[in-house]
Amino acid sequence: MSGLYLHLLFALGGGLGAVLRHWTARRITHDLPLATLAVNVAGTLLLGLWLGHLDAVGAAVSEDARRLVFGFCGGLTTFSSFAYQTLDLHRSRTILTAAGNILASVALCVAAFLLGQKLAG
Amino acid sequence: MYLAVFAGGAAGSLLREALALEIPGLPLVTATFGINTVSCLILGWLFAVRNRVHAHVLHLGAVGFCGGLSTFSSFIFELDRMVRLEGWTTGLGAMALEIAAGLAAAVLGEAVGRRREAR
Repeated sequence: MSGLYLHLLFALGGGLGAVLRHWTARRITHDLPLATLAVNVAGTLLLGLWLGHLDAVGAAVSEDARRLVFGFCGGLTTFSSFAYQTLDLHRSRTILTAAGNILASVALCVAAFLLGQKLAG
Repeated sequence: MYLAVFAGGAAGSLLREALALEIPGLPLVTATFGINTVSCLILGWLFAVRNRVHAHVLHLGAVGFCGGLSTFSSFIFELDRMVRLEGWTTGLGAMALEIAAGLAAAVLGEAVGRRREAR
């Protein structure tokens, strides 16, 4: 399998993830950055499921599929928007809201990741 | 609009893949750490200059590229791995460091953007 083809699949996954993220952001409009939280939880859950699945069936999964899904998870989730919105919460509301956003994001995503691995494993 | 987001996301993902492959993960400061911090910097800058650029630039750069470049799922994956390998203290420390670096980078990016705006 040529390297370029695999890179393109990764990019395709990332692009599709970004589109779904933007679509979600336009549907979920809320004062709090719930859309970012939702895509991050969903992407992390998917990564957990996928890693669990790879652990279970390993060699049976082609490199194409691996790249596509890893690209998609990374494109769907975002750290930069999370950081910027946390900053925004600190400015427009209180530092507690900002801290809450950090705690909620990390806690929910860790839970989603572990849950995904458990479900797939 | 979605085309710009797709193009930016694909480009950001490619760059992330290239960087992640070339920089082997260090114990605390992983490739994802660096990539996330850089994209926070770019995003902060883009938001500071957002009134001067076309909406497509924001879709391409901020939503697509920065979002595609940065990742929360790998961040959590690395956090989980670090907790398993090094224990809770190191894992939580790395997490706090990465978030602090991201916030600082966003502030810095904004400051750079604002400064140029003032000229």
